[in-house]
Amino acid sequence: MTPKSTELTNPFREGLSSRPMPQPCTVVIFGATGDLTHRKLIPALYNLAADGDLPSALTVVGFARRDKTDEQFRAELGDATRKFSRQSVQDELWNSFASRVFYHRSEFGDPEGYKSLAKRLEEIDTQFGTRGNRLFYLSVAPSEFEGILKNLKDFNLNQSPSGGWTRVIVEKPFGYDLATATELNSVVAATFAEKDTFRIDHFLGKETAQNIMVLRFANGIFEPLWNHRCIDHVQITASEPLGVEGRGPYYDHSGALRDMVQNHLLQLLCLTAMEPPTDLSADSVRDEKVKVVRSIRPLHGADVAANVVRGQYAAGAINGKNVIAYREEDRVNPQSDTETFVALKVNVDNWRWAGIPFYIRVGKRLPKGGTEIAVQFRAAPPVLFNKDTGEVGANVLVIRIQPDEGISMRMQAKIPGTALRIEPVKMDFHYGTSFGKASPEAYERLLLDAMSGDATLFARRDEVEQAWKFIDEIEHAWHNSDKPPTLYPYASGSWGPKEADDLIERDGRSWRRL
Amino acid sequence: MAQSITELTQGMPVEIGKIDRELKRLWAEGAGAATRASLINFAVYCEGAATMQESTEVISEITREHACRAILIGIDPDTTHAPVQAWILAHCHLSRAGAKQVCCEQITFLLGNDGLPLIPNIVFSHLDSDLPLILWWRGEFPAESEDQLWTWVDRLVFDSQTWSHVPSQFALLRTTIEPASPRMALCDLNWTRSLYLRQAVAQIFDSPEYLAELAALNAVEIVHAPGARSTALLLSGWLAAQLRWTLQGADGAVVNFKDAAGAVVTVTLREEAGRALGSVRLTAGETSILVAHHEGSGFLHADIRLPGNRESHYLMPGGKDDTVSLLNDELMSGGRHKVYLKAVAALVDIL
Repeated sequence: MTPKSTELTNPFREGLSSRPMPQPCTVVIFGATGDLTHRKLIPALYNLAADGDLPSALTVVGFARRDKTDEQFRAELGDATRKFSRQSVQDELWNSFASRVFYHRSEFGDPEGYKSLAKRLEEIDTQFGTRGNRLFYLSVAPSEFEGILKNLKDFNLNQSPSGGWTRVIVEKPFGYDLATATELNSVVAATFAEKDTFRIDHFLGKETAQNIMVLRFANGIFEPLWNHRCIDHVQITASEPLGVEGRGPYYDHSGALRDMVQNHLLQLLCLTAMEPPTDLSADSVRDEKVKVVRSIRPLHGADVAANVVRGQYAAGAINGKNVIAYREEDRVNPQSDTETFVALKVNVDNWRWAGIPFYIRVGKRLPKGGTEIAVQFRAAPPVLFNKDTGEVGANVLVIRIQPDEGISMRMQAKIPGTALRIEPVKMDFHYGTSFGKASPEAYERLLLDAMSGDATLFARRDEVEQAWKFIDEIEHAWHNSDKPPTLYPYASGSWGPKEADDLIERDGRSWRRL
Repeated sequence: MAQSITELTQGMPVEIGKIDRELKRLWAEGAGAATRASLINFAVYCEGAATMQESTEVISEITREHACRAILIGIDPDTTHAPVQAWILAHCHLSRAGAKQVCCEQITFLLGNDGLPLIPNIVFSHLDSDLPLILWWRGEFPAESEDQLWTWVDRLVFDSQTWSHVPSQFALLRTTIEPASPRMALCDLNWTRSLYLRQAVAQIFDSPEYLAELAALNAVEIVHAPGARSTALLLSGWLAAQLRWTLQGADGAVVNFKDAAGAVVTVTLREEAGRALGSVRLTAGETSILVAHHEGSGFLHADIRLPGNRESHYLMPGGKDDTVSLLNDELMSGGRHKVYLKAVAALVDIL
């Protein structure tokens, strides 16, 4: 039978799902023998299949250099999925899922490999009904992007043969600086339209990151207070006790500012500071985020030394164990001046946030792991309860991104007794306590969104480039100026260099204790 | 031997006027080691000792995924003019992180068989404030009841499969209970039994290739377990409502519809031991789509045959038919059941 119309809608979807279901498609993973495929991508796809969220006809093609058969590839992925999957793996479902997983061996730059890939994808379309819908996942070093994308274009793999869609997911880092990011974006744009380009930042796939918009715009209580009149400042922290953990060469080239601030933390800042979008479409949300990045006050020359502190971990102790200094880590330059800690004071120069600083800190080998946004409100005026004793503590709304996802609110309360004593108390909401059901992994949500063509949780080109513009000025001051600001050492297991404390304390504030 | 009401182990007996105080003491004793959590008020109405005991067990399982204050109201059919008795109980489970016990409280009330008028007050006075009220009504709806009870309910859960007289119960729902509260969602566990089959069918027709076959659909066969004919009928009602078929009549195991183009569509119900709904087969000319539970498999198997001997086989989540799973599925889904009401309306004359 021939389809009567391509405009038909599925009448059985009514009332069953609040999100659009992706159409049948093939996911082609470049760099399929790598860690990300084994630890995240395939377990994520398996979990989606187990939850019934995948299109029935979904196939996966792994593209990589090593020699192996489909069967070997499936067996390796099976082992990895059993180890890393959120849900326990059921053989019956795994076998069904794996029967539609294939391996395609080729060098990334070899045109023959793409010619045979095109033929194989056509066969898969015929056999499994994937209708020419293709999602290419570039899980490779950025240096490989150009070769892969050029070949995809040369063999028309960037266009669906049968009126379907083709999309590409690009893993971070999206460049090394503005110039390389612009170049990278141009390379991608030469093969895929912006609407079909999905730059993945897994922080945005986390349940709590998505909840920031819900908290702000689905509750009437916060929005009237969410501005310079009621908020004193905002702190965004991403700390981890781990060192570079075998990523020495990458990290030494990148550093904390590029690795974390340019993407994850500026994304969190945008979600916190953005105006309400006109609707929930991808571009409406991303338009508002871009406006925030554009409003960040650039830091030039001396501003960098005054507003940014960089540090590098020295030897110390984590969890009672001695740990080595960054410069002693495997494959790290012993004279490295790469920062493993950054603290910044960021100003967002727009109507809502005029005069309200955002303090950002990120670091490795800190005492405790955690990512959170803390919105500190202005203190009550010192006329009643705190007239004689000075200001009582301010209200703080904390959005915990990881671990122990949740939200807490600190407020003041009278301690029971005949005397008047006021102490802070905390109202706490924990996702894990309130909801028995585990949240999907960030990659599950993001893969599903990319298959459905929903780019809301992905970074747009202008967003990425604008963020690099801000970061580049800081990097320039650190590495290309006559008098670069000092790189301060800090003991592993401490909360970073003392100068980071000075940065916030000179404004009469202090870092939150996590 | 049937369990008597007095043998029930519903927790610690408490005086009704001291329930709040005893609950506070309960949590004070567990402070530090356990966290009390509650996102909903989950009230359960049931009759008889065995059902009360089973309800407590179900509540204990439900609290693993849905933190709630449970209010269990049992009617002792053998007692009249008896004073209301109450117990409190905590259900604790390790949190997902495994570090802390997350606990929910259950308050149990036992009423005599003349205690129906007391229920609204019992429910209202023990609600966890500001949280939604979900009422699971186990059994038949009473012909006469307090409207006020229904007005406070956000979600009314029931199981039409257990009703002895389906038409009169649906009539009560439509004329008395549903109009009492515009915000109340009706949640029929008999409808939930078909959830995974409906999801699987929907998933298949997400593919434009199969979607095009729908207009030619002319025969449906639904296999159901003994006692689950009403479940199969609700599934037929769903197909009819969503595809805009109109009921022509029923003759034993065969229900006839006409589609929008006026062509006849035959739905055949076949009884076979197994899951409440064993399978559904949709036939459109040479195309056949079978979605079935297989013995020993937790998944639904979809076998699709298209003209030209093209065949596809997929696995999809199969769900479970036990009460806890049905309730968990129901509590996870939000919103009103517009589609359910359409399915009932499509078949109301033969339910």
